[in-house]
Formats: sequence, structure tokens, C-alpha cells
Amino acid sequence: MKTLAIALGLLLAGTAAAQTQYDTLLKGGHVIDPRNEINAIRDVAVKDGKIARVAANIPASEAAKVVDVTGLYVTPGLIDIHVHVYAGTGQRRGYNGDSSIYPDGFTLRSGVTTVVDVGSSGWRQFEDFKDRVIDRSRTRVLSMLNITGNGMTSGPEEHDTTEFDAKATADMAKKYPGLIVGVKSAHYRHPDWTSVERAVEAGTLANIPVMVDFGTNHPDTRPLADLLTKKLRPGDIYTHCFAGNRDELISETGKINPGMFAGRERGVKFDVGHGGGSFRWEVAVAAIEQGFPPDSISTDLHVGSMNSGMKSMIRTVSKIYNLGVPLYDVIKMSTSNPAAEIKRTDLGHLSEGAVADVAVLRDERGVYGFADARGARYTGNKLLDCELTLREGNVVWDLNGRAGVNWKDVQERRPGQGRGQGQGRRRGIR
Amino acid sequence: MKTIHLVISLLLAATALSADAPYELLLKGGHVLDPKNNLNAVMDVAINDGKIARVAPAIDPIEARQVVDVSGFYVTPGLIDIHVHVYAGTGMRGAYSGDNSVYPDGHTFRSGVTTVVDVGSSGWRNFEDFKDRVIDRQRTRVLAMLNIVGHGMGGGAIEQNNDDMDAKATADMAKKHPGTIVGVKTAHYRAPDWIAVDRAVEAGTMADIPVMVDFGSFTAERPFEELVTKRLRPGDMYTHMYLGSVPMLDANGKLRPYLHEARKRGVKFDVGHGGGSFLWKQAIPAIQQGWIPDSISTDLHITSMNAGMKDMTNVMSKILSQGVSIYDVVKMSTWHPAQQIKRPEFGHLSVGAVADVAVLGIERGDFGFIDVRNGLFKGNQKIVAEMTLQEGRIAWDLNARAAQDWMISYREQQRARGRGRRGAAGAGRGTAGSTIPRRP
Repeated sequence: MKTLAIALGLLLAGTAAAQTQYDTLLKGGHVIDPRNEINAIRDVAVKDGKIARVAANIPASEAAKVVDVTGLYVTPGLIDIHVHVYAGTGQRRGYNGDSSIYPDGFTLRSGVTTVVDVGSSGWRQFEDFKDRVIDRSRTRVLSMLNITGNGMTSGPEEHDTTEFDAKATADMAKKYPGLIVGVKSAHYRHPDWTSVERAVEAGTLANIPVMVDFGTNHPDTRPLADLLTKKLRPGDIYTHCFAGNRDELISETGKINPGMFAGRERGVKFDVGHGGGSFRWEVAVAAIEQGFPPDSISTDLHVGSMNSGMKSMIRTVSKIYNLGVPLYDVIKMSTSNPAAEIKRTDLGHLSEGAVADVAVLRDERGVYGFADARGARYTGNKLLDCELTLREGNVVWDLNGRAGVNWKDVQERRPGQGRGQGQGRRRGIR
Repeated sequence: MKTIHLVISLLLAATALSADAPYELLLKGGHVLDPKNNLNAVMDVAINDGKIARVAPAIDPIEARQVVDVSGFYVTPGLIDIHVHVYAGTGMRGAYSGDNSVYPDGHTFRSGVTTVVDVGSSGWRNFEDFKDRVIDRQRTRVLAMLNIVGHGMGGGAIEQNNDDMDAKATADMAKKHPGTIVGVKTAHYRAPDWIAVDRAVEAGTMADIPVMVDFGSFTAERPFEELVTKRLRPGDMYTHMYLGSVPMLDANGKLRPYLHEARKRGVKFDVGHGGGSFLWKQAIPAIQQGWIPDSISTDLHITSMNAGMKDMTNVMSKILSQGVSIYDVVKMSTWHPAQQIKRPEFGHLSVGAVADVAVLGIERGDFGFIDVRNGLFKGNQKIVAEMTLQEGRIAWDLNARAAQDWMISYREQQRARGRGRRGAAGAGRGTAGSTIPRRP
């Protein structure tokens, strides 16, 4: 019997090598592809780094490699539009330095294939960031430029309005279309609108959205409602939307700020941006109970958030899922919605011909604790975990060896062959 | 029932506020595995002032300002991973003294690790740059072994240059940073001579620290058997013990006897999984014949982190999957490596020791573990780090065990607001989040 199985296996492998249509076939999974409104058991075939076919019952014989993903969800690779990954500069404390981390150790294991660094660099440093990180990471790293030319130093420079040059920012953005996907205003402490206005000016010049971290709360001179109903354009993004730091939740009434609803009505997008200080359960619970789910889920990954309440994209997505948002919707908030927000509609879906960035997720049941950014616990019963990630069709994460072969069947290394670098080799791809 | 729960929680919270309790933190109800002290039983662990204050059955919760229920989990010394590459940030392409390295903090605590040893990414010429960039800025305790090559793991010809293998300069730098530089590494050497190994041993002897060997190319001129039975000193380490090239099994699949001879001499064998150095075809028959590791380590770098290695608890789970007991697996990840690097103040939970602690769960289910050639072994147990303390502070808390329920903390905040104090200080007490600078 065993011999027969091996013989059959060899036969299949032989067949596969000879005349297969597809490189990889993810078989038996439940596909959630909100952009294409697919929410059903489907097989997904990949060829040359692209999605080749999504259909029921694609024959296993048509693929060189078949991965059984029965019982799992197959989704577009997740898109995390709020991270800080401008690491390696040696700048202490700054998000353009020590507060950032390299993306590849956090993204792929969490199903994320695309991140957007939002404002760690400004127009002066973007090309250094590109050289150090964007061009060397396996994760697709996109960027929003900080409206302050020197980026997120975490020092007084961030508030120096003479450094807010809308034209220079827009010019740099236009030099790298598709890679620079927005303008960020963040951390601004003064009571005026300069930071937001310059960012919007730059965004308008370059025809890209603005993402706002609203900095210090100044309810008298620049209230949240004015930002959302007057200052931001449709398509601009309000991040840290459940932070509770700037009257997102009116504590006297327990109601979500009516300005949030009015902003959404106008087309302003609301992004989670969990981070180390920007997600409170009381705000998130109230928002979702009152019909205000986020448009996009993002981590605000940095050294302060990675080991505290935030932890990872997949746990951040799990938090929103536990608040009663359906799985289909949380996937939409982590794939096609953020792709649309950054105007990269080529990403975030599994259409035939699209780049084969794919996440395979497991939906576990149990008792799980989730801390918010203040260290308060929500006890939930659902947890998403990432089983498998494909980036341009290559397996870049495989938690349980689903794409592996029986250890006894591993071939001896040929003499002279270098140390096996396996699946994780870093290449100069975005 | 829910009400009772709530009342108990509130009561505990009240207890926690009693300022005169002798302990800051009490880990209650866990199963302590502390191989140095031969502890393998359900015990409570009390921590104060960043140190282990007491380990005993049934310590009264009233004696602690914060109590965390860890029943159902193992409580172990913080894990020590003696083979990593964390000299990141130099911008050097294709080199472990650069782009192949990762910053440790995002990989360690979530895997129960509190101490790592960077082995050979830097040499004596660039160690102090490494120290400034990484060692001094990371929360993880980062120690180092100096590469016998002065420029460290710069890749390519840099690592083959005999002229840059200066035993004296290496030993001098090691003596300048005792306790931080805990060994000498030779690695990736291709030439058929013994120069790299001999110089490393020479440096190790001068500085009285052990040598760790990655044997590079396995050539007939310098047999592996000679390395471990003659060239290395007792206390020196061979890493990558389950690498495909190691002549471990004879034609009949039997473990070669010289390996036991080497171990008897005092040479230590370390896993060093990495991106190319752990084959089930070697590990499984070897472990079945008793060839188990002295120390378990990851060889963490940009390739291994997303491939078969993944993280420290995953590598430990692999060894566990072969029938090695959890007690022994923990010993190989705590007390053994601490002794190997001559830092015996770490790797145990003795009273007075630094409170580096891991709280580990063992999940049961169907798990797959892949080796460096994508070979799959299916296991049914997986070690997961539930909590990690470093110097008594919570550095990782997977399921927010140390946190307060959000509704309670929200009410406390609202009460505090009512009293005109915005933002109750107590809300984030004791969690990792509370020790980290907040975004505005």
C-alpha cells in the first residue's frame, strides 16, 4: 500500500512537472474576496506570480503544487495602511529611526503583504527610506510622506511650520506615483490648522489622499468635527479613529461624536491605527454598537505597539471581529477597502490577473484576551491566525507546513550547493 | 456567577492597591520548571524590585500588589537563545553585519526569550558599533560572541580573510566588555585548513571564554570528527548540530560513536536552526538514538524567521515533538545555555536572581513543523509564550492576563474624570503598554 502510494505520488509529481497549467493550487478553502463579492468555497490557482483562476473544483492535476486549505479562509493578502518601518537610521526615539522596525518579521506571518508607512519620512528623507527599507523588503512597502520635510523625529522639528512645504512634498510624491500614496499630518501640537491645511494642499497638488493623526486635542480652536466636515476632502483618512484622545467618543453622553458620522457622510475614511496609545475598548465598542465600524483596520506598528496591546495585524483584525463585525467585513476592511483608500485598486483582491498576494487564515474558537492601548482587557471567543501567506505567488509564510513535503522525502543536498536559503530569501522587490 | 466574579475582581483590585504588600507581582498557580533548582511542580512565584523574591507553594495573594493567575501554564526562567543575528541597521547588503540581521525585541519577548547571544555578526573591529546601535538600545538582553574575523560577518571574501583573524585583538576586545562578550565565533570558513578554528580557540583561551563553531564548508582535509574530538576545548560549542553535512549517522543509520566521545570531553552541541541548518532526516534518527541537544537556539535572521525556524518556541516545540520532555526542553533553553556562556546568574528562578520569566503554554492539536528543506513533521503539541517578564516587568502578555477588564477600568476613568482628574493613571497598571511612551 505504501509502495503504491509512493508510486502514485511519483507519478503525480511526474505528471505535474510535465504538463501543468498552474504553479500552485490552494484547494478547498473558503474564499473571501470582497472586491469581487466572493464568499464561498473556491479553489485558487496561481501562475507566474498572478492569480490565474478562482473557481469551484479546479482539478489538482492542473497544478505543479497543490496545498490543501480545507477548513481555512483564503483572502487577498492583507493591507496594513498604518505602520512605521523607517528603521536603521540610528535616530534615537524618532519614527524615522529607533521607533520603527523592519517590516518583514511582522507582516508575512500575519497575512500582510502590503504596508503603508505613514509619515515616518518626509520629502527630504523619502529617498533614503526607499533605499534603506522599501527596496530591500520582501513586503510591499508604500509610503505617505509626512508634511514635515524631516519626517517623524518625535522632536520639536515635527511642529516647525516652516518645514511644512506642500509643493516640495507634492513634487516628491509625483516623482514616485503609486509608491507614495498619500500625505500624512501627525502629532501636531499647536492649536491652529497649519499642519492639516498644508497636508491637504500637498495632497491636492499630487492628487493623493491625506491621512491625519490629529495630534494634541484642541477642541476650542480645531475641534474634530471641523476637521471631518470642513478641512478634510472626501477620500481623506482619519486614523486612530477609536483612540478616544480627541473626543471621538463624547464621554458625557456615551455617544460617538456626530462629526464622525457627518464626516463619513462626506466621504472621509476612518482607519483604526491601533498603535501604542490609540485604541480604547470603550470607543471601539460604542462605535460598533452605534453603527460606526471602521473603514480600514491598521496596526500603527512600531516598537511601542508591537509587544503591547496591538501585537500584530491579525490580532488587531481579530479585535474588530470579536466586536460582532462579520468576518467578510473585517476582511474587506483589511484588503479592498484600504486598497481603495490609497488608490491602489490593483491590490486587495483575487481577480484573475491580479498579483498573487494571498493570505490563508484560520478562524479559531476559544477564550482569548485582548488588551487595548491602555492595557484594558476585552475577553473574546474568536481569534484569527495566519496559516499561509503568498507574496507574488511564492510561499513566504507557512505556519504548519501545509506546503511542505514529508520529511522522509526530502532530497539530499547536492554537493557544492550552498546553504539552503529556502523561502525567505530577500529580494529587491517591493 | 458573573456578579461574584466581578466582586472578586474588584476585591483583588482593592487588595492590589495595598501599598505595603511585600511583592510587586505574584504569578499564581503555575507549574514551575526550574532545572537549575530541580523544581518541577506547581508553585507560586513572587517578584519584587525586578528580582525573584520567593518561589513556594501557595503564597498568599494578599502579599502582592498584583496577582496574575497562570494556572495551567508552565512558569520557567526567561529563555536564553544563544544563536541569533541582530546586528541590524548598518545598511550592509547581504551580510549578517547588516541586512541579514533583525532587531531582537520584536522576536524575543513574544517567544519567551529574555536573553540572546549574537554570535559573530560583529568582530572586534565593529563590536562597539554593534553595541551602540543595538545592544544598548534594545530591551532584550543582548550578549555577543565576537567573530574571529575582525570585520565580523561581512559576507563573501571578508569572512575568509586570514589576515583579519587576529586572536589577540579579539581577546582584548572581549576582555574590555566582560560578561557582554561571552565567546568567540568562527563561521562560514571555506578553506581546507584549520586557521579559523585555531585562531578562534586561541582568542577564546586568551580571554577565557568559550568558542562557538559553525564549521563552514565540510572538507576532507579538516574532518568534523577531529574538530569535536581534538581541536575544540571542553566547554566549546558546535552549533548547527542537525545540519545535513554533519557526519552523524553511518551507512546503517546508526549514530557514530565519536559524537558521544566529543560530548564526554565536554564539547557542547547547540541546535542553531537557522535557514539551512536543521534537517529532520538528521534530527529524528539522532534524537531517537539519544543524540539530544545541550542547548536549543534559533539562529534568528531574516531568512530563518519566516521559514522553518520561525521563533524560539517553535524550535523548542520541534525538539518536544521528538519525545524530549518539556522539563529537558526548558533546561536546554535556560540553564544549559546560561552555563555554556558562563553567565550562571541567568537561566533560573533562584531567590535574588533577576526576574526574567517565561510563562509557557502547551497547546494540543495538529501542528506541522518544517525543516530547512521544507520537510514536514506532524506533531500534536506546540509551545506558546503566554507571558514574558524581563527584570520583573511585563514585556509580553499574549492574552492580557495581567490586565484589568475594560469595563472596570473605564468606570475608574470616568470616576476619576468626575473628580476632575483627566485620564486615570491606574488604568494601564502592570501591562506592557504602560511602560511604553504613548503617542500623543
